[in-house]
Amino acid sequence: MVSAIVIIAAALAAEFMLGLFNERWRAAAYGVTLFALGFMAFISAEWVWAFAVYDAQPAEIFTAGVQPPFAINLRMGFPEAALTLLINLTGLFSALYLRRALLEKGRAAMAVLLVFVMAQNGIVLTRDIFNLFVFFELAVIATGGLMLLSEDERAVAAGFKYLIVSQVISAFLLIGIIFSYHATGVLNFDLMRPEHFAAAQGGAIAFFLMFIAVVAELKPFPANGWALDIYESAHPAFAGLFSVASAAATLYAVDKLLVLGGPAWLPVATGIGVVTFIAANLLALPQRNDRRLLGYSSVAQIGLILAVLGQRDILGDHYFFVAGGLIAAHAAAKAGLYWLSGLVASRDIIGWSTLRGHPVLIFAFVSFIALLTGLPPFPGFYAKWELAVALAGSGRYILLALILIGALIEAGYLFRWLGYALKRDKPSEEISCDPSAVTAIIAALAAGWAFAYLWGDLSAHGNILHAVPLLFALSFLLLDWLPAWVKNTVAIVGMVGYFILNYTDYDPLRLIFAVIILIGGPVILLASYDAHGRRIGFYPSAMLMYAGLTQLIGATDFFSFFVAWELLTVGSYFLILRGKHSEPHALSYIIFSLGGAFLILTGFALAATVSPLPMFEALQHLTGETAGWVFLLLAVGFMTKTAAIGLHIWLPGAHAEAETDVSPMVSGILLKAGLYGLMVLMLAMGKQRFYGIDIVHVMLWVGALSALLGNLMAIFEEDAKRLLAYSSIGQMGYALFGLALMNHLGWVMALMFVINHYIYKSMLFLSAGGVAKRTGTRLMYKMGGLITLMPLSFIAVLIGIIAVSGVPPLSGFGGRWIFYNAILSAEHRLPMVITFFSGPIAFLYLFRLIHTVFLGQLKDENRRIKEAPFWVILPQMLYVGLLMAFAIVPGLALRRVDTYLNQFFPEGGLNWEGITITSQFGYWSPVSIMIIVCAIFGSLFAWLMFINRRAQKVKQFNIVFAAERPYRPETTHFAWNFFAPYRKALGFLVQPFVTRFWETIADILHTAGDIGRRLYTGNPQTYALHFLAFVVIVYFFWTGG
Amino acid sequence: MAHLAMATGFILILIGFYGALTNRNILRMIVAFTVADSGVNLVLVAVGYMRGRTAPILDNTVPAAEAAARIIDPVPQALVLTAIVIGVGVTALMLAYSYKLYEKKRTLDITKHTELKW
Repeated sequence: MVSAIVIIAAALAAEFMLGLFNERWRAAAYGVTLFALGFMAFISAEWVWAFAVYDAQPAEIFTAGVQPPFAINLRMGFPEAALTLLINLTGLFSALYLRRALLEKGRAAMAVLLVFVMAQNGIVLTRDIFNLFVFFELAVIATGGLMLLSEDERAVAAGFKYLIVSQVISAFLLIGIIFSYHATGVLNFDLMRPEHFAAAQGGAIAFFLMFIAVVAELKPFPANGWALDIYESAHPAFAGLFSVASAAATLYAVDKLLVLGGPAWLPVATGIGVVTFIAANLLALPQRNDRRLLGYSSVAQIGLILAVLGQRDILGDHYFFVAGGLIAAHAAAKAGLYWLSGLVASRDIIGWSTLRGHPVLIFAFVSFIALLTGLPPFPGFYAKWELAVALAGSGRYILLALILIGALIEAGYLFRWLGYALKRDKPSEEISCDPSAVTAIIAALAAGWAFAYLWGDLSAHGNILHAVPLLFALSFLLLDWLPAWVKNTVAIVGMVGYFILNYTDYDPLRLIFAVIILIGGPVILLASYDAHGRRIGFYPSAMLMYAGLTQLIGATDFFSFFVAWELLTVGSYFLILRGKHSEPHALSYIIFSLGGAFLILTGFALAATVSPLPMFEALQHLTGETAGWVFLLLAVGFMTKTAAIGLHIWLPGAHAEAETDVSPMVSGILLKAGLYGLMVLMLAMGKQRFYGIDIVHVMLWVGALSALLGNLMAIFEEDAKRLLAYSSIGQMGYALFGLALMNHLGWVMALMFVINHYIYKSMLFLSAGGVAKRTGTRLMYKMGGLITLMPLSFIAVLIGIIAVSGVPPLSGFGGRWIFYNAILSAEHRLPMVITFFSGPIAFLYLFRLIHTVFLGQLKDENRRIKEAPFWVILPQMLYVGLLMAFAIVPGLALRRVDTYLNQFFPEGGLNWEGITITSQFGYWSPVSIMIIVCAIFGSLFAWLMFINRRAQKVKQFNIVFAAERPYRPETTHFAWNFFAPYRKALGFLVQPFVTRFWETIADILHTAGDIGRRLYTGNPQTYALHFLAFVVIVYFFWTGG
Repeated sequence: MAHLAMATGFILILIGFYGALTNRNILRMIVAFTVADSGVNLVLVAVGYMRGRTAPILDNTVPAAEAAARIIDPVPQALVLTAIVIGVGVTALMLAYSYKLYEKKRTLDITKHTELKW
């Protein structure tokens, strides 16, 4: 094995060799540079291999042939090997990326690049504090040199600012080092001891100076203005290298110092880190410049890792796994994103839409954002999980909350950026596809996925990338070149096949969800046959969502449940984002979802630390205050997904703006994930109190209010799909109400809603989508009289609204019957009354779907439209059949669930004898109801036909106008503002208070970020003062705490 | 003696920092930093000083056997040499930068070079 010192020697040798070259032998000089970097990477790789595979022992290198303290020594252990590999590979690919710039500037620039990489290696390897200082200074000088590679004129000023600040920092570092030497008598990391610093006079101050100077190299808030200017103006390849290599090396230096300083310094590191994490993310919110945004994000990520370094006391064995995971994710993502920014001409983040049309680059962009936000299957996700469990386990709740808040803000601006790139108009200028740059980006992408696999393998929870549904979904990335109908067939066959293979494993409750996801999903996918072309990106997203849902109902432990939850969130985000105008709605969806997911993560982390049992049993065994907290966090998290009132504002836009076949997926199927979570939670934990408040009782109220307000908001909608979306809020409110009744019939009713809502909401969304597709609008007052042109859609809507409104004979009535029985045996009257009144309100908006869209007079411009496409109609007709069948034999699905629920709610079950269903209050006979209603309907219909024989048909122009010509003709249409009187009476209830509340919060955050970032005046003297202020603040906190 | 040197060193550092943070002229800032550097070096040497001992040069007057008891600590002196070299390097780089900055805007006023901010 090659000695680690050869890494440094090879760099030096190459630098000197470059000095001997003729200035014109640029290609040769470049070759030497690449070879040297490649060789350095090879040595590190060899060591990584030796440690990982052969369990090698760490190697000490004594430079002068004598032991420390008489000479400097280096160490090559596993962390050193991994970090130097990361640094050298980033260096190698940066050199590749910099090809043109390096060839233009010549050998001097190449030598400086080598010095930079060597210095970072040295910072990692050295065990001597003065040697550390030397390598830091080398890095400073090399950074100063490499800044000049940039084509941006402002880079000169940025480099100078950096030199100014680093002068101040290095003065602190030197003084700290010399007094540390004075206190301990040695310069060697391994020979210094925390006791030495404590014993000597001024020893603690000496350590403080050294520590603060090294931490300052990590760009902590607020002493980081210089770094942001560097990130913004440097050559993107160097910005990436600077962000990755300097951060990795300096973090390791801080780690070495923390061992010296002892446990007292850990909270200081955490404090600095977490403040930086939150502040940098907040200040990033108003950023428009892509590279500066990445700079803020880099600063934030490094702050997070610093905070993790400060938690080594509780992370134990997971320390390197967590910190390393964050470093790896940060490295692949930041290098990749900076390198991508080099291809994009515009510096505004909106300009990244130019990446569209390059699927590989878009995939890279998406992967990098996922790496940064810690989504599965990337290492940041594993790190997030272990960190949350460790923090919750040792009671550091505030830190956990702060980290999650920071992460949510970060996800906010990163996903906003992603939305811009995927949805905004493509600018005219094309990207510059420099092959060496693209190679580097693809290398970063490959590294990101390799890290994902590696961390999965190292994880104690199993590799996420080994889950069959996820692999199936990811395989669609490779199939994306196929035509849409082929992929659609593969998807349908795959899902149904998975169901057939696995359905015996589910208990009755899960089986209902499994059928909805794995059989219901393919039924909706039938409508997708209507799409032409390749439909790039649709199938990976849709399948990711279905994979998440499938894994969710199969999950038995906290970790896999949470993985599934995040997968389905991400998949559905991309699915929703596909709609034409859905960019802002998708953003609000992902922010609410991630916020909910963080609550769930916290709840799981709390529960997981109490007992190592599988999820269900662990929840059952919780007691006391923890149980209340866990229940509350999980319930709110799941209710975010069911769009309970207060957390609902993402839903209408997200569901309404989605594509025709996507709306039913995200409404009919995805919403059930939240209900499933709630069911698991409530079955396991029952009623819980939180500081004396009965949470389930609060949920009962939330359910009732969601039902009322969701329905009310729906009746005032003009947009057919938004109407259906609001109606979902109401429907989920019913289901939540049923669950919160916590009795047998309440649960049967909720499950009935799960099934019914899937069927009729999918059907109605498909009909509304089909009509919108033909008429070119979703506004109902622009339609009318479509009954003769689109009869099949009319039948679907008619059957759908009969089912939703709960009038006999369809299954909605069954739901209502169970509901009446359920409330008869429950105690809480007022929420019951509210829920009861929501029923008729639902009828008001459902009526509009028939009346305004299909009845009345045909608009002139709609005269030539045809029935919706076959593939959109086909699933609707299947649903009509299903609704009929479910109406006649509800027992098919519900009977087994009813029995299953007996073990949890033994009292008040239903009796399923023969064709009638009996409860303690009465009976329901679906078949006889069907017969009676059909008989009444048939005879009335016949009578109507008979008396209408001689009726005169009113034609469109049999209308007499008064003399006036209205300014906006549609406002005179009777269907416009149809329920105006109700609006006058009840409008105050649907004022967008909640929307305003969340908008105000977003506004406050943005304004705070915008004011805060003015701290960075651009003047290096201010930046140096920031550093001094930082030192003083940390000093006071340190001595004060 | 050692205390005097160390105090002088710290005073030089403070003077240097004050100068670097209050002067707008880039060249004056660089000069101020060299003053601060000298202060740092003085502090380094002062830390290694031991009363009544001689320079760490092993020759006829100081045999190797007695060296440990008779010479001052040589390590800080070695460190100072390195620190001086590095200081020269950084100063040279800053001067090169100041030339570039001047070339670009024809001014050495640091407040005129603040396009990058926020």
